[in-house]
Amino acid sequence: MSLQTTMIRLPALPGVSGLAWRLLPALPFVLVLVAWTLFWAVFHPNKATLPPVSDVVEVVWARMRDGELPAQIAASLTRLCLGAGVGILTGIVGGFIAGLNRNVAEFLNPLVVFFNAISGIVWLPLMIGWLGIGTALAVFVIWNTVFFIVFQNTVLGVQLVPEVLEQGVRALGGGRLETIRSVILPGALPYILTGVRSGLGFGWRALIAAELVGAPDGLGQMIFAAADYHRSDIIIAGCLIIGTIAIAMDRWLLIPIERRTIARWGLVLDATRKS
Amino acid sequence: MSFATAPSVAAKSPGSVSGIGDAWQMLGGLKILLPFAVLVAIWWAIKAAGDIPDNLLVSPLQAWNAFVHLVTYGVMAEYASTSLTMLGIAAFISMAAGVPIGFAVGVNRYAAHALEGFLRFLQGISGIAWLPLAIIWFGFSHTTTLVIVIYTLIVPIIFNTMIGVRAIPEGYALALRSLGAGRLRLILDVYLPGALPSIVVGLRLGMGYGWRALIAAEMLVRKGGLGDLIFGARTFGQIDRIMVGMIVIGCLYIVVDRLIIQPIENLTVARWGLLQR
Repeated sequence: MSLQTTMIRLPALPGVSGLAWRLLPALPFVLVLVAWTLFWAVFHPNKATLPPVSDVVEVVWARMRDGELPAQIAASLTRLCLGAGVGILTGIVGGFIAGLNRNVAEFLNPLVVFFNAISGIVWLPLMIGWLGIGTALAVFVIWNTVFFIVFQNTVLGVQLVPEVLEQGVRALGGGRLETIRSVILPGALPYILTGVRSGLGFGWRALIAAELVGAPDGLGQMIFAAADYHRSDIIIAGCLIIGTIAIAMDRWLLIPIERRTIARWGLVLDATRKS
Repeated sequence: MSFATAPSVAAKSPGSVSGIGDAWQMLGGLKILLPFAVLVAIWWAIKAAGDIPDNLLVSPLQAWNAFVHLVTYGVMAEYASTSLTMLGIAAFISMAAGVPIGFAVGVNRYAAHALEGFLRFLQGISGIAWLPLAIIWFGFSHTTTLVIVIYTLIVPIIFNTMIGVRAIPEGYALALRSLGAGRLRLILDVYLPGALPSIVVGLRLGMGYGWRALIAAEMLVRKGGLGDLIFGARTFGQIDRIMVGMIVIGCLYIVVDRLIIQPIENLTVARWGLLQR
């Protein structure tokens, strides 16, 4: 029962045209824009405190054209890919080792609970001393965040695969590796993907936080540096881009992957009932 | 979702049968401590064998001394209570405001549909990303930290309350209404219990995000709190304080999660359960 998977699609009501229903989600954004514009028109706040909408649009346009914004986005995304890639890989491999062996899982569990509680930016002060400011630091922080979430979910997924299925393959003469490949991996996959999705959500947050203090560039550094010059327009633009990337990642990358997996490996229904 | 993994793991601890049960529980306690003992041994061995200077890594003994020092002088209590108070206030405000908002939005299908995307978008912008703007607006103050943590907490709470209300089968509400129940009655008897498990999930997720946002905000705002403690220690190269601070942060979060949020979750699920059997 996760935040993401409990998404519900509401059917359009008769009497409301499909178009209006589809445009409805844009309404809050429009309302915020209108309120912001009105507020600015009436009170004329200091531009450093709250810039007009047009300033934000302009700064995005200008930074896009001179290539600075794409460079910052690329820097952040590269770090995310590196950190999350290593985190997912180590999390899955570690999760399988622990999930397949009860003793290992029981031994590691307290450590995992503890290190999950301090995962991510809590390591920042210590790691700045060890790794210096730069990509290695950000990658470490993301790895640290993603790893524990993927690890925990993989262990759970592996442990929840019904033993009957495993025995079935064994009885038909499948070896250990064959069992893992054809039963446990597909059985655990939905859980692993939930972990990956949730991990990327935490990882993206951790990356922005890490970049605020521990990186020479990237979106987090961009908005933090902007605060020094009271450039609210850059900060707001940065925040909007951060949100857009998070949404885009979830919608166009993670949800399709999850859907395809569920469609292909039907085990997920069984697994949800068990959890 | 990752947080859902915790209860099932915790539930596997040996059951308590009086007499033999106590012995079992002691053994269970040792089992939990053993991995940490191994970890500390490795930590100590690395420190001793690698001849690492104190400004990179301290020994467990030095960390312990720093901990005792911080506790006896009351420094730790001061920093920890600042963080916990912040988290408590933020959680209270977020629940008090977020749940009613979630309900108001959830009972109306148009409002729910309209806000879903917007809330998702807000959730994509982590609270910490607003920190620079909050610093401009509220200065380096507790208000800044509080605003960031409340923002981080309230979005998942509103979202999950809304989802929880929407997920209640319409038949229940219709049944009560046909028996003459009013709006308030409907909320108390159908929507609140029905949405509660989802609300708790939102709270738990929010706390996970919120605790991290709190530490990060404290690091940058530098007005007290455990984040300030470890980030301030960095400036003076006090690795012992950093490591002690990290351990305390981890322990406090586990205490908050296991002793406050998880019991609530277990109670809710057991009572109004999603459990079918």
